[in-house]
Amino acid sequence: MITFHDIQIKFGHFHAIKNLNLHIKEGEFFTFLGPSGCGKTTILRSLVGFIAPAGGQIMLNGKDITHVPIEKREISMVFQSYALFPTMNVYENIAFGMRVKKASKAEIDREVRDIAQKVDLKEEQLFKKVSELSGGQQQRVAIARALVLKPSILALDEPLSNLDAKLRVQLRNELKNLQKKFGITTIYVTHDQEEALTLSDRIAVFNNGIIEQVGTPQEVYNQSKTEFVCNFIGDINKIDPLTIMNSQLKESIDPNKIAYIRNEKVSLLPLPGKEAVQLRGTIVDQEFYGLYSKYVLEIEGGGLLKTIEKETGFSRYKVGDKIGIFIHPGDILQY
Amino acid sequence: MRTIRNQLASVNPIALIFYGLIVWFIVAFLIYPNVNIYYEIFFKDGKFSLDAAEKLLSSERAMRSLYNSFILAVSLVFTVNIIGVVLVLISEYFDIKGAKILRLGYFTTLIYSGVVLVSGYKFVYGENGFMTKLLAGLFPSFDPTWFHGYWAVLFVMTFACTSNHVLFLSNAIRKIDFQTVEAARNMGASTFYILWRVVLPVLKPTMFALTILIFLTGLAATSAPLILGGKEFQTITPMILTFSKSVSSRDLAALLALVLGLATLVLLTIMVRFERKGNFMSVSKVKSELVKQKINNKLGNIAAHILAYFLFLIYIIPVVLIIIFSFTDAHSISTATLDFSSFTLNNYLFVFSTMSAFKPYLVSIAYAAAASVAVVALTLVASRILHKFKNKWTLALEYALLIPWMLPSTLIAIGLIVTFNMPRLVIGNAVLVGTVWMLFLAYVIVHIPFTLRMVKASFFSLDSNLEDAAKNLGAKPFYTFMKVLLPIILPSTLAVLALNFNSILADYDLTVFLYHPLYQPLGIVIKNSTDAQALADTKAVTLVYSVVLMIMSGLTLYFVYGRKSRS
Amino acid sequence: MNMKKSVISALILILCLVVTACGNSNGGNAGQSTAGSNGSGATDQATSEPKATEPVKNEKLIVYTNANSDGRGEWLIEKAKSAGFEIELVGAGGADLTNRLIAEKNNPIADVVFGLNNMLYENLKKEEVLIQYTPKWAGEVEAGLNDPEGYYHGLVKQAILIGYNPDTFTVETAPKDWTDLYKNEAFKGKYEAPTLLGQNTPRLIVAGILTRHLDPNGDLGVSEEGWNEIKQLYDNGVGAVEGEDFYANLASGKTPIGPVVSGTLGKKEEQYKVKAGIVSPEIGVPMIVEHAAIIKGTKKQETAERFVEWMGTAEVQGEFAAQFNAMPANTKAAEQANEAVKQLYSTLKAQALDWGLIANNIDQWVEKIELQIMQ
Repeated sequence: MITFHDIQIKFGHFHAIKNLNLHIKEGEFFTFLGPSGCGKTTILRSLVGFIAPAGGQIMLNGKDITHVPIEKREISMVFQSYALFPTMNVYENIAFGMRVKKASKAEIDREVRDIAQKVDLKEEQLFKKVSELSGGQQQRVAIARALVLKPSILALDEPLSNLDAKLRVQLRNELKNLQKKFGITTIYVTHDQEEALTLSDRIAVFNNGIIEQVGTPQEVYNQSKTEFVCNFIGDINKIDPLTIMNSQLKESIDPNKIAYIRNEKVSLLPLPGKEAVQLRGTIVDQEFYGLYSKYVLEIEGGGLLKTIEKETGFSRYKVGDKIGIFIHPGDILQY
Repeated sequence: MRTIRNQLASVNPIALIFYGLIVWFIVAFLIYPNVNIYYEIFFKDGKFSLDAAEKLLSSERAMRSLYNSFILAVSLVFTVNIIGVVLVLISEYFDIKGAKILRLGYFTTLIYSGVVLVSGYKFVYGENGFMTKLLAGLFPSFDPTWFHGYWAVLFVMTFACTSNHVLFLSNAIRKIDFQTVEAARNMGASTFYILWRVVLPVLKPTMFALTILIFLTGLAATSAPLILGGKEFQTITPMILTFSKSVSSRDLAALLALVLGLATLVLLTIMVRFERKGNFMSVSKVKSELVKQKINNKLGNIAAHILAYFLFLIYIIPVVLIIIFSFTDAHSISTATLDFSSFTLNNYLFVFSTMSAFKPYLVSIAYAAAASVAVVALTLVASRILHKFKNKWTLALEYALLIPWMLPSTLIAIGLIVTFNMPRLVIGNAVLVGTVWMLFLAYVIVHIPFTLRMVKASFFSLDSNLEDAAKNLGAKPFYTFMKVLLPIILPSTLAVLALNFNSILADYDLTVFLYHPLYQPLGIVIKNSTDAQALADTKAVTLVYSVVLMIMSGLTLYFVYGRKSRS
Repeated sequence: MNMKKSVISALILILCLVVTACGNSNGGNAGQSTAGSNGSGATDQATSEPKATEPVKNEKLIVYTNANSDGRGEWLIEKAKSAGFEIELVGAGGADLTNRLIAEKNNPIADVVFGLNNMLYENLKKEEVLIQYTPKWAGEVEAGLNDPEGYYHGLVKQAILIGYNPDTFTVETAPKDWTDLYKNEAFKGKYEAPTLLGQNTPRLIVAGILTRHLDPNGDLGVSEEGWNEIKQLYDNGVGAVEGEDFYANLASGKTPIGPVVSGTLGKKEEQYKVKAGIVSPEIGVPMIVEHAAIIKGTKKQETAERFVEWMGTAEVQGEFAAQFNAMPANTKAAEQANEAVKQLYSTLKAQALDWGLIANNIDQWVEKIELQIMQ
């Protein structure tokens, strides 16, 4: 549906986006993930039309929209600050776009109330000042304001970044449900990997104006293509070369290359399959998280590894225990 | 009563001292002398007399002038707001080429005013003015005396009274969350629609605050109607000035001033109500900086540029002509003709040689600095009180601080003299007349209402969470005020400070009654050397002093304002 | 923050400069007078008595005047200094000074006031601001100029004349008197009406006409005919415009007739390159005489008296007249005036005006004109 073709974006001498190519499918929940300053918001804004690329094309349904004015692209945007108009009440905020389009009064009223209901805004909230709403309600107003125009694409620029952790989780779920309900193609910009993993159909990981990897959450997590991606997403062990050299791992893993393994893939129980390798080590630290505990293991032969164990209620391991450690060489990522 | 006691108990002793000082100041210097002068005027022979009202009501000229003043004030509210908003949009909102230079032009009203400003416009549009000559050349039947009456006064004052807009409205427009503009564009709103529905509503509270000032300026218009009004458009303030200077007519002056003051209060009350209704808090947690908007429509863009530079010319030409003519002589000035042979440096030599050293400059600068700082400090404390508490006492405080709007400055000065020329208990039995303090006090008093309006407005736009946050982090109220609140309201406050400073620099009407003989301020020196009886080339000398004052005012603004906008 | 700092440092710098300036002047008059030190101690003396109490010979005098522009003030200070007087001049417009003196009368600052006209002195006299003191030179002053009660005595004469543009009118066609202006159709719309009644000259012109029609039964002591004439004066004339110099309009021919003050004629001719024709009415011209007087309540009366004695002498006045093109009231000094000035005054006759009556009524007259006569 959307295709970025060789997009270049420059701010003066600063090359913000270098040769970006990307395809987003219809109905997809697509996330641009990356640290701040990586260019993810820039590319979103170029899609919406606030930034004109220095080179390349943006195609929408096969049509070139690179130089189409903002308002003709049918892409609605939800801003980081929500950009609600402080001088208008909730109703006026949602109706704004339709009034611009000179819709009839009756139509506006019908649509506004309809969308408000869909995003769970109560009737009496419609005539409140936006400053009187909670953060979550403000977000829903911002989304309703975007959706009421029935856009073909919804672009969200870090809409959850200003909220507290609990509200963020709650709104994340609401957002996902809304997207499912409307089935609308959604482009979502965030620096929060957890958000990206839980929400997205597919993720593009950005770094320094370049896409490092595009894929489903599983692909990006389990088969991180680059060292940056595997470090940026999830918690991961960098395996000490000594650990490899002084164990069976050296048979399948090149100790001269950098090797990573996800924490949860370091097991304290034997693993099925004959490729599984056993190491031995000592528990040197334990952190209790409630749902699970995190252990730091000192490996015989050198190096440290972290792992997590689900908490079952009685603690099986304690600091100082000598235990066996199991790893599938196939889970090791090398760059 | 109990609630007050509770409140008092909960405030700390230093705050209590501050409150006490404010109350003392208001009673001693705002209420006492001004009530005293009203008493002296209206109860002169021990009984109240309505003669003044009768005299005024039976005078056709007085009534017509009063009517004209109101017409002018109301018209200006519209025209100045329109032009003011246009200026701010050109210099801050739209992407206009050369906006920096344009802005300098629009700022020129900040450095000169009154008679000089109007004569600057006369150089352009007056009988011998350049524009008039041009028009007369194009249309042979053109009447060269066209520039007078209501429209001329309105024209000049519309452009002359935008100072507050370019200062305070610019501040307001910079506070707009740019994402709201982008959001509106994203939803398909046109440039004009965004202006009307998104940008202007945010400016509205500031415009309300400025409207009352425009109204007041319109009512108090002196120079423009005197010079350009002609017989058909006379206003009331010149009459008030004349009457306030003669002992037997002071009752008329006081009564007229009271009428104007009350009208101002009525408007103020209405505006405050509007303001309360239209008040809003920005909901953006993180604001993105305003990016200048390109006008995409080619014709619209060209039109905007033409308008911008046209306005620039209107603003800049009078200033340039004043500067040029300050190097010529009375003959050239009165005929508005430029002849290379009449250029001379003598005017400047005269001004700087008779200036018997720089003392008058220093005296004026010291008074202006001290008084403008004091008045800002006072109104900051007062605004803080008004912001924090809301009860009938604070209401009384607010209205007490507006008393100086009820009297012409001449009468405020006379009130101070007749009140404090004998020992008064309220000021510790001191005699203030004959001390340097009189003038300082008077400057502070007359600038309180304007300063309060502007400082209070910026106080009320503060996010109340900020204060709570600071308190939560353990900051004491004073520390919070100095380190958290003050920096936010500082731009507006400094702007007010600069405006006050400039208006005190060359004041004459108030100064002449109160200045200390050994410390002659600049305004007195200027008046003396440009007085009708003076023999020098008074016209040219007036212009030279105007240029000197422009430079001083310009420097003040640069120090307070210019450097910040550059960084 | 940077900006804040620089603003504060700028303010501190200014304050420092001023403190230094004050310090200097303070040092300059150290021990001369407490009035001076009281003022200069800008910070700490608000509660002290503003006046010195012990009379010392030749204390510094505070002198109010409206006649210190164009170097006249500096000249007088220099002259006084060589005569052993130290004076501080306070200059302002005549009406403003009068108001100030009246307001200050319970706690006077000034010791001497000179330069004001009869009308203003009459006001001061009425408000009991002045003391009676007749200097020795009083007898040398032209008869009829001094205050008969001895409160103020004449120094310099100024005449208010009708001036006209010599290209527009000739000696024959020019008006003969103020009354001509509104009685003769030829001058309609050609002369400046005295509309700026906050100033002294217009007030004197009005007084000069009204006093010809005194009638105890009329409104404000003026007969109906008198008020009619004043009304015609305003109806047929062109209003004066604030900030414009009338002489410029005379020179350009825009408003060719109007009031001119004798003392400024020479300079104006030079500046506008037109020599105005002068009319001296049969009845005489309103003569503004600048006087000198001593303020009641001065703590330095003795010095003040000696100063006034010195200032009015034929010698000082003569020298002043020669220097500044003025016409002394002192007949002995008059000889030293410049030729052109002497010649002008030889043709002029002072209009007989009852200054006491004018001072008593002029404010009400002006009020009536402002409210009911002017359009």
